[in-house]
Amino acid sequence: MSQTATALIAEQWAVGVFVLAVLTLCVFTAGVASLLGGRSWGRAKSLPFESGVVGAGSARQRFSVKFYLVAMLFVIFDIEAVFLFGWAVAVREVGWSGFWGAAVFILILLAGLIYDSRVGALDWAPRRRPPGPAT
Amino acid sequence: MTLTMTHLMALLPLIVVCATAITVMLGIAWRRHHGGTAAVTVIGIVLTLAMLLPIWTMAPVEVPLLVVDGLALFAGAMILISSLTCAALAYVYLDNYPGPREEFYLLLLCAAAGGMVLAASRHLATLFVGLELLSMPLYGMLAYAFSERRSLEAGIKYFILSAAATAFLLFGMALLYAQVGRLDLPAVAAVLGERPTAWGLAGIGLLLVGLGFKLSIVPFHLWTPDVYEGAPGPAATFLASASKVAVFVVLLRLVLSTPAFQDDWLRGVLAVLALAGMLVGNLLALVQSNLKRLLGYSSIAHFGYLLVALVVGDGLATETSGVYLLTYLVTTLGAFGVVTLLSSSYSGEDTAALHHYRGLFWRRPYLTAVLTVSLLSLAGIPFTAGFIGKFYIIALGVEAERWWLVGGIIVGSAIGLYYYLRVMVTLYLVEPGMRRRDAPRDWGGRAGGVVVLGLALLVVMLGVYPAPMIEWVRLVEHITVR
Amino acid sequence: MTLLLPLTFLLPLAGTLILAFSHTRLGERGSAWVGVISVGLAALATALLVHQFLGMPEARGVTLWTWIAVSDFQPTFGLMLDGLSLTMLGIITGVGLLIHWFAAWYMHGEEGITRFYAYMNLFVASMVLLVLGNNLLLLFLGWEGVGLCSYLLIGHYYHTAANGWAAFKAFIVTRIGDAFLAVGLFLLFRELGTLNIAEILQRAPELWAAGDPMVELTALLLLGGALGKSAQLPLHTWLADAMAGPTPVSALIHAATMVTAGVYLIARLHGVFLLAPDVLLLTGVIGALTLLAAGFAALAQTDIKRVLAYSTMSQIGYMFLALGVGGFEAAIFHLMTHSFFKALLFLSAGAVIVSCHHEQDIRRLGGLWRRLPLAYTGFVVGGAALAALPLVTAGFYSKDEILWQALASGHGELLLAGLLGALLTSLYTLRLIIGIFHGNPGSDNARRAEAGRGLAHGLPLIVLVLLSTFLGAWFEPPLVEVFPAPHEGGEGWHLALEIMASGVALAGIALGAWLFLRRGAWLADVASHGWGARLWRLWHHAWGFDAGYDRLLVRPYRGLVEWLRNDVVDAVVGLVARLAWWLHVGLARTQTGKLRLYAASMVVGATLMLLVMALAT
Repeated sequence: MSQTATALIAEQWAVGVFVLAVLTLCVFTAGVASLLGGRSWGRAKSLPFESGVVGAGSARQRFSVKFYLVAMLFVIFDIEAVFLFGWAVAVREVGWSGFWGAAVFILILLAGLIYDSRVGALDWAPRRRPPGPAT
Repeated sequence: MTLTMTHLMALLPLIVVCATAITVMLGIAWRRHHGGTAAVTVIGIVLTLAMLLPIWTMAPVEVPLLVVDGLALFAGAMILISSLTCAALAYVYLDNYPGPREEFYLLLLCAAAGGMVLAASRHLATLFVGLELLSMPLYGMLAYAFSERRSLEAGIKYFILSAAATAFLLFGMALLYAQVGRLDLPAVAAVLGERPTAWGLAGIGLLLVGLGFKLSIVPFHLWTPDVYEGAPGPAATFLASASKVAVFVVLLRLVLSTPAFQDDWLRGVLAVLALAGMLVGNLLALVQSNLKRLLGYSSIAHFGYLLVALVVGDGLATETSGVYLLTYLVTTLGAFGVVTLLSSSYSGEDTAALHHYRGLFWRRPYLTAVLTVSLLSLAGIPFTAGFIGKFYIIALGVEAERWWLVGGIIVGSAIGLYYYLRVMVTLYLVEPGMRRRDAPRDWGGRAGGVVVLGLALLVVMLGVYPAPMIEWVRLVEHITVR
Repeated sequence: MTLLLPLTFLLPLAGTLILAFSHTRLGERGSAWVGVISVGLAALATALLVHQFLGMPEARGVTLWTWIAVSDFQPTFGLMLDGLSLTMLGIITGVGLLIHWFAAWYMHGEEGITRFYAYMNLFVASMVLLVLGNNLLLLFLGWEGVGLCSYLLIGHYYHTAANGWAAFKAFIVTRIGDAFLAVGLFLLFRELGTLNIAEILQRAPELWAAGDPMVELTALLLLGGALGKSAQLPLHTWLADAMAGPTPVSALIHAATMVTAGVYLIARLHGVFLLAPDVLLLTGVIGALTLLAAGFAALAQTDIKRVLAYSTMSQIGYMFLALGVGGFEAAIFHLMTHSFFKALLFLSAGAVIVSCHHEQDIRRLGGLWRRLPLAYTGFVVGGAALAALPLVTAGFYSKDEILWQALASGHGELLLAGLLGALLTSLYTLRLIIGIFHGNPGSDNARRAEAGRGLAHGLPLIVLVLLSTFLGAWFEPPLVEVFPAPHEGGEGWHLALEIMASGVALAGIALGAWLFLRRGAWLADVASHGWGARLWRLWHHAWGFDAGYDRLLVRPYRGLVEWLRNDVVDAVVGLVARLAWWLHVGLARTQTGKLRLYAASMVVGATLMLLVMALAT
């Protein structure tokens, strides 16, 4: 028992030290700051710090949902394009099967793009009615 | 490793489902048509189901990331069947829906593909990709009726908590990778070996947290009733059936393939989780007055029962899991199907409050019969499918001499009987003069109605004549890669 | 064969389902058609089976499937056809068909006809399952099924509270017997490790010597089940009240088929009973006592159907007597002929009742023989068979066989009881016929009687009339292979007994004719004063069993329940429910709907998981 315990401690002591160190650091910074730091109260003190400029208006501004939509689409297509870099690097090694795989991938992306544009996800403003339910 | 024709054949069902999804997407881009979209979806799923038959004979086939073996095909078939049911139900449900209706099928197909990947994964990467591909469309499906407060709430709750669970899962994978240096399951299993280290065990534990969340295992169960209640009928149906089956199958695969799960401590943890699930789920459902919430609680309890198979982990465990999953799936689809059919002609909240079901028998005797059969099966009454499943679980527990678990099952079933019977009594009470909600008059002739009636018939048939099901599950076990 | 056998119960079951799901869309005529045709097809299947069986008379079975297989416990859905089950099958579907058909006339214009036929079909299906099942579990399933249908059909006119109570009574009293039967089955399974009938009959003699206490106990428990179902002393009180149901129900369930299930059970498990000679003797004694007690009771009834009910008990008493002396073949033979003539009597009674606008009291009927010739014929022929008039009736041959078995096995006292019973049978039968058909009408209903018309009314009666004569005795059940050889004795003795039994029956008829036709006023006088009146009351209330049970069992039980209403045990039991409630309330607090709490619970769970894992290493 004691032998395995010793072995365990020998194996895991670094973890223990790490956990202890993290806890100590957190407690130290928070505790020392609260003990040593001076405090002052005032009306301006409870305002958000804006580099000395007095804040104007509410922080809760509403953005158009299109903003997020386009941002999301950008991220999605961007990240998926990254896969193509991987293919480009190894284009000779993977040969024709790699080519067909990449082709299928690109075609699927293309289908997604067509869908997005048709349902109006890429339109910034609702210029025209997207194809509605067939009636 | 090069892909041969055999590999391609084995992966064909997955490819067909994905192709169907893309077809549906392009179809929507071309022209919106509800019936057409539903038809393409159904044809694609049926085609895939038919394709599973020839592949059955060539299984198991392994590729680096996936394995197409008995378990994967079994789960695939169940996921496809529940997707088919959901599509049929959605067709009825969405008929009067004012917003876009076609995207639901797109999401459904993507989720089905994710479930199939998940069930066939033999690599932590595919496990993760499959799980996410299953979950992402589900968020959309749950919040599909986004003008409804509760539907939106369900979607967001599931999304945020699911993301948190995924974080645990990923961290668990990272720990495993740190320990093993590889991500494919056979290698992980081999390195962890008989005596896993602390990191390995922690990794497995966090993996269990991530998957346990999806299965709503206590204490990761709190989302279940809220999400079930708010979700639109077909989405709740999919969440309760296909999603759970896929996740459970992958968990079963982990348990079977990783000797580390035979560790006494891990088994102890699983046993405690199982016991907690049975008791908490059933106790929470005790006086629930919303049928969808009640079914949610009941699913917590049922996965508590099902965990017993994982606790035992050998002998009849695979057979038991298969039989239980199948009977649970059929029963749940039936119960949710009725709820969905009753809700279909209303925009607004689904028909789930129990008082809407008062005296349903006198208006819709067949639908009530379906619901009654499903509830009886959930309660595990003999000559319904549920009895066979529960019988297997108890037999397994007794054989492994896990008396606490057997006791838990018995206590849980006793409590369960109370609330299932309560619902059943409500169905037959004399009709009061209150506002009533009803299925469309011609529900029996429509796709959803036919499917629901068929499911009820299946529940009874599996209960009376379970031999083919048991044979099938044994075959599944036979061609499963260990 | 493999297809035909299951069809015999699947067809009536299909009928039930069609009727149940028709949701009153079929209407009266449609319901009757479905109900009759499904049983008719089953009867057709039975006829084909009989044809096949007679071509190759050996027992055969069909194993449909194994339900679930867990080590020793492998309940199979298997059917078995041998001479015994074939005989029962023929009775159930054949007589059942006639009664279903007759019911189309009887139930005309009544409410709930779809319900009626659905239950009747379900009854036929259950009863067929009972006699065809090759293991006792399936038999038990059928046994409970027929009990359920009996309950539902007795309470068919549920708007009258008394009918509901009668249904309750039948259900509860037979349930007492069923409890015995269930325990008996458990014992059999524990001792023999199987519930398959053929295996039981094979293993029982290997395991047990004759008179082993265990086998005696098992047989006693099985006998308890049979007593309840077959309305024998002391569990007989339900049958007379069961007459609250429609008359075809009384004919089918409470005369021809279900009440004979007890006889079937004992005959089916004769191997077990033969190992328990004491219980077998007890069976005979109970049969003898019942046939006498019920015979006396039948003498003092005023309701047509109650007379017939007590006569049914009495006749089943004969069958038990036969079983008790080892005359299994005689018992089954009498079961068959009895089903013919008792069905005839009940259907004729039904014809009289409907014709006389639901008048059932003998005293208010009378002089109907001109107006209702067919019903009169039915009563005369059926009554003659019941009283076992020599040579021309079916009942003579079967009852004679029973008495002969009693004599040949050397049970003189049982023989005497049987002979006395025969005298009583003649008396009450004659009293019934004279009361209904002769003398003067006792009420307007009787004076305005209208004879029934139509095929559904006439044909079943005529067929049953024919079957109740010696023609019915021509059907010889193929039982040689099933049972041990019957007792043999000198032919001379047999002839002497036949003559004696005929003499007794004829003497009973003569005595009855003299009493009821000539000395009716004197009889009424005796019955209304002093000892005569007491005796009348005693017999009218069937020896006061109901009142006795009420004092001995029901009231003390209710008192006990009253006393225990708020006792400690209840409080403890209630605690379980309360505990569940408190736990529910506690747990329900966690379902706040707040996302933060849900996420926190996940974190707590994960932390605990990690802690346990850390402890594990």
